[in-house]
Amino acid sequence: MAFKQFSSMFSAQVKMMFREKQVWFWNIFFPVILMVLFMIIFGGGMSSDGFQAKIAVVDEKPNASSAMLMESLKGVPLLTLKDEAPVTLEQGEEWVKEKDIDALIVLPAQEGAAEIGLLINMEREGGATTQAVAGILDQVVQGMNFAVLGAEPQYSVAMKSITSASDDISYQDFLLTGMIGLAIAQGGLFGMVDQVDMRKRGLLKRLHMTPARMDLFGLSGMIVRLMLGIVQIVLLTLVGVIGFGANLHINPLTLLIAFFGGALVFNAMGYLISSFSKTMEAYMGIANIISMLMMFLSGVFFPVETLPEWLQVVPKVLPLTYFVEGMRDGMIYATDIFSADFWIGIGLMAIWGIASFVLAAQLYKSKSISSVR
Amino acid sequence: MPVLKVSGLKKSFGTVHAVRDISFAVEGGEIFTIIGPNGAGKTTTLEMIEGLLPPDSGEIAFGDLKWGRNTEQIKMEIGVQPQSSALFDLLTVEETLKLFATFFTRTKPVDEVLEMVNLTEQRNRHVRKLSGGQKQRLAIGLAMINDPGIIFLDEPTTGLDPQARRNIWDIILKLKEIGKTTILTTHYMEEAEKLSDRVCIVDQGRVITLDTPAALIDRLTSEREVRLTLTDGEAAALATEQTASELDTVTKIIREGSSLQVWTTHPENTLYSLFGFTKENGYRVEQISIREMSLEDVFIAFTGKEWRD
Repeated sequence: MAFKQFSSMFSAQVKMMFREKQVWFWNIFFPVILMVLFMIIFGGGMSSDGFQAKIAVVDEKPNASSAMLMESLKGVPLLTLKDEAPVTLEQGEEWVKEKDIDALIVLPAQEGAAEIGLLINMEREGGATTQAVAGILDQVVQGMNFAVLGAEPQYSVAMKSITSASDDISYQDFLLTGMIGLAIAQGGLFGMVDQVDMRKRGLLKRLHMTPARMDLFGLSGMIVRLMLGIVQIVLLTLVGVIGFGANLHINPLTLLIAFFGGALVFNAMGYLISSFSKTMEAYMGIANIISMLMMFLSGVFFPVETLPEWLQVVPKVLPLTYFVEGMRDGMIYATDIFSADFWIGIGLMAIWGIASFVLAAQLYKSKSISSVR
Repeated sequence: MPVLKVSGLKKSFGTVHAVRDISFAVEGGEIFTIIGPNGAGKTTTLEMIEGLLPPDSGEIAFGDLKWGRNTEQIKMEIGVQPQSSALFDLLTVEETLKLFATFFTRTKPVDEVLEMVNLTEQRNRHVRKLSGGQKQRLAIGLAMINDPGIIFLDEPTTGLDPQARRNIWDIILKLKEIGKTTILTTHYMEEAEKLSDRVCIVDQGRVITLDTPAALIDRLTSEREVRLTLTDGEAAALATEQTASELDTVTKIIREGSSLQVWTTHPENTLYSLFGFTKENGYRVEQISIREMSLEDVFIAFTGKEWRD
């Protein structure tokens, strides 16, 4: 009997959730769009995969050396020539000033030992692109020197990453996990608006007129929301890994604990909001304020350390900070479940969840369902 | 033994006394209608009987069963259609019925319910795409999914067009045919008169009167209102008015142009005399009617209030 009720309630709630267009938009498309935008805006410069520098070449007196250099430069995939043919020095300098190109390379005017000029915009002198172009040019020149001397290079650098996983975090990884945490937290915070809607439309009362078990109804709703959370994790992870080359180091147990813990805590917070919101609009307003405040102060998009120092105390009390941290522990740091920091975070988060639930239960009890008309 | 017995119900919300004193007993198989103006306490009474609101005082008994002691049992045995249809918009008609069916140990087959409330064609339609009348029929279908002995219908026809209202009447009469007890509240006197075996008029949280519709009407004064319109203008009407005023049975006359309203204790005698007069004088009568007394008049007589739909 109980199982029959539970399974029919569960399947009804699955249908209701996935037939609601709002759910698709806010829980599926919106987090993906937000993540893609942030990845594009802030992710580009911090990754080496997408590096491209635009240059131009000045070759005032073409000669054998300059031709050879020109060929070598064209062979470097990271450099794009604004103009295939060499340009005049004036034109090139103009482009540098206008920032049309990242660097101007002036080829030697004679064969044999000579200098190769590298012109860059002063504003960008210390930039990563400039450093990279200089480095590339250096390598090209060195290669030529070896060729001229007829020598084979004796030493080469074999770069190998031997750092621990936690040092190997790219912004993609950071943002991906932050977004997953945010999406799940918002799912919980906003998800309980159904409660207000059902109460307002008399649906809770309607169920109350039958022998339906309300605890099973609540439980099945909770599980449906957890399912949505899993869909969010998978989807955002796929977009992050395939679309933006994020690297994951997953510890399944840690991830599982963080996910369930967080989902429950934010559901409890949503439940609390539902206990004192008379209308759906009121609920959404409050949930929005809470979510906005937490979104920018919990290290979702940027590390908490980038906040001004006086503001850094705020993230230390917000549950989203610990949830996002926990998700990162499970998804990119591969922290095992014996980490004390991990459990301290989960514990602080749980305090929020338990306090919200207890308060909500009190508020619900103090006014019976029927009195809310 | 009545299937439902209510005695001395009282309920206040703060300073508002919604229900002051309501008692009645409902017999098995009847359509029992509670009628009264908005705010009379109909819905509050029903919600107390349905176990949603605890009464401040008073007794509610379904045979031997009582709320609190036999809550689960009572819920299994009654069917409720609340005033707000309260349905899940995103489920289909059939899904909704099947969901509710899992809450009960005994159920009526979904196909049979669909047939009874005439929603077989709409079974796969999402609830939010149903018309108001279809939603209301689904709500009634939900109330009968557990094949209950007693069905509560709280204003099932409010806000529906005349055709949709008639469809609901058919369902209510079908329920009676198969031996169900129906407790109905309504706003519409006509509906109460057509459907009910007994009518309970409630006002300001009290039972004003309770009887069959016919008996209630009989209790009113025997005075009837007769309307006549004459074809031959005001002069003819004036002469007829003169004649009518000389009759013993006529208590009151109002004339408006060529139309007369005549109140009489013996409408057949009065009409006989008036027609004799008009025939003699060659006056032609365009329209004639005797207004029937209705529950509306009963309501006005008992409460002294105008009836407002």
